[in-house]
Amino acid sequence: MTDAGESDEALIGRYARGDAAAFTLLYRRHEMRVWRYLERNVGNHATADELLQEVWFAVARDAPRYQSSARFGSWLFTIAHNRMIDSIRASRPQTSLESLGYEAAPVLAQLTSEATPLAAVLTRDQAGALKSALGQLPREQREAFLLQAEGELSVEEISDITRSSFETTKSRLRYARTKLRELLSEYK
Amino acid sequence: MNQQPPGHDESDGVGDLYRQASALDSSRPSESVRKAVLAHAARLAEERASPRASRTGARWRVLWRPAVFGTLAAAALAGLMIAPRFLAPSAPAPTTVVALKAVPGRASAPATTSADASVATAESASVVAPTVTRAQAPPPIAPAPSPAEFRRAAEEGDLPALQKLLKVPVDIDSRDTLGRTALMLATLRGHAEAVDILLDGGADPNVADNRGTTPLQAAKAANAVAIVASLERKGAK
Repeated sequence: MTDAGESDEALIGRYARGDAAAFTLLYRRHEMRVWRYLERNVGNHATADELLQEVWFAVARDAPRYQSSARFGSWLFTIAHNRMIDSIRASRPQTSLESLGYEAAPVLAQLTSEATPLAAVLTRDQAGALKSALGQLPREQREAFLLQAEGELSVEEISDITRSSFETTKSRLRYARTKLRELLSEYK
Repeated sequence: MNQQPPGHDESDGVGDLYRQASALDSSRPSESVRKAVLAHAARLAEERASPRASRTGARWRVLWRPAVFGTLAAAALAGLMIAPRFLAPSAPAPTTVVALKAVPGRASAPATTSADASVATAESASVVAPTVTRAQAPPPIAPAPSPAEFRRAAEEGDLPALQKLLKVPVDIDSRDTLGRTALMLATLRGHAEAVDILLDGGADPNVADNRGTTPLQAAKAANAVAIVASLERKGAK
């Protein structure tokens, strides 16, 4: 988990005291995980870029307020989750989250559904198949799965971040895994 | 605090499949994001490491505060003086009438300031007012859009944003990490109007993505007839 034998929690503490190198280590360690979480949830490269920057700006700004009792990964993905939801709401303030089609992951589903000939272009490899499969999951299941897969978070942590009950989160994860196993089985 | 994530002790193979497929995914965040984040973090770290510099900054902020409030107050006062001219364009503003009365012998005395000239007649007052407003508030300079912002507008088919962004210098054929241009993204999402705007704006119709797929190939695969026609008109292959 550590690049230089130092925990995330120690690094964020060092950064809060003015050590920029500690932040660079943290960023390199978690950049891709946060990126994949965002990009696979929003289905848009440019938006994911913007959100990634916002998330890490927030980490830099709020580092002095980080509570060492919380795991850094959980804190980081809480920020990422909140930024993502805020961004979607802010971009279309007149509509609800559900009416945006966010529930159905329009971008990924649209680009990769079997009914769309574009699938032939976009899902020609395993990485494309993965995105296609994720796009077919309901939003809550996809996010729970990505928090687990990319954030390496526990069920309790995912429940806290998504403000769902433990049982609901467990259920979402189970459905997500079943569906993904089915959709990705040909790549085993 | 941290429990072992459930996915790591389940033997359904989904975690392995996910990691295996993820490793093949070439999507990456933009390098510009990394640079911006690390530069921002370094600036904050520097401030935290040298509290004296922060205090100096705070002192400057304190000194600037009255100046900011003074500027805002002046702007508000100017607004109060100018607004009646716009609110009642058919009648001279009260201040104008007062000014006319308050300039005795103005026919014989030459106007010495632009303010005098502006109150000479009701007609001239209504003409001068907008000029004054423009002089006080120079038009803001639009910042150059980021390539990512431009591509997002294309991908979302946001036509007003796209047209607006094309009015300022922008790299119309900039590519994301998968090599997709704005034209390719608009094509993939089936935004025919956005495709037309981009082609009219000079987008190269033959820029292929990292896999070698051109916009025309993608449009044909999607059976997007209108987009195919537009691309072919512009010489797409």
